[in-house]
Amino acid sequence: MPILLRNLLKSIFLSAVLCACAVQQTATLISLVPVEDSAAVTLSSPLELQLRTGYHRTLKQGSSWTRIGSVPQGDVYKPYRDVFTIEGAHVHEAYLVVDKGMLVGFYLPAERGYADLGQRKPIFFQ
Amino acid sequence: MKLLKFAVIGAVIALTGCAASGPKFSAMQASTPAVNADQGRVYFYRKDSMFGAALQPAVVMDGAEVGKSQPGGYFYVDAASGSHEASTSTEATNKVSFVLEKGEVKYVRTAPSIGLLVGRVVPELVNADEANKELNDLSYTGKAK
Repeated sequence: MPILLRNLLKSIFLSAVLCACAVQQTATLISLVPVEDSAAVTLSSPLELQLRTGYHRTLKQGSSWTRIGSVPQGDVYKPYRDVFTIEGAHVHEAYLVVDKGMLVGFYLPAERGYADLGQRKPIFFQ
Repeated sequence: MKLLKFAVIGAVIALTGCAASGPKFSAMQASTPAVNADQGRVYFYRKDSMFGAALQPAVVMDGAEVGKSQPGGYFYVDAASGSHEASTSTEATNKVSFVLEKGEVKYVRTAPSIGLLVGRVVPELVNADEANKELNDLSYTGKAK
């Protein structure tokens, strides 16, 4: 089978598999407690994320984030002059949720929900 | 195998179509009104590409049709601050959810992707720097001014 055709079939299969997984989020609305100090911080090293839906995201080294508040799961960081999304069956704008130096999940501002990362990833800001 | 090849070629041909025509983004900027203070703005656009060009679904925002995903085209929608959802539907519905703040401008790019039967057009959020580079050569497909 030609490589192009094989890749096409793989893409179709992958598309079907990935599209089936919705982003799992909290059933109840999450209250974001805003903070006043909102100086931007910079990510010291890149961070590769494997989402529970099967999709990947990379947080770029040098990307800027602003701590805008907190939710019960941790502090919430919004991308500074940028956008960040997570993806499952649909795409959701998302902010990072960091607990004690570990990325634990995402705050979904449009849904006012929380989506767990499924693991704790060390994250370093400067 | 030959049948499969023909099916793929046929699908590619079927998915090609015409690009949007109209005034370019760069020319429209001067006549584009500023965003109202109590609203935000969402630009919807699609890069000019032959791939999937025949797929031109409606763009729906918060349940109302606001335009069409056309290759090489863009339009914008002013909306109240708060949560919003935009979607396109072909063989499946793809959605993007986001928040809009007062005076904020957000950018949603729609792009064709491979689907199970006829393909999909997927909306995604794009940052302003990237969007402004891509918008420059696109044609306005919104309401006539």
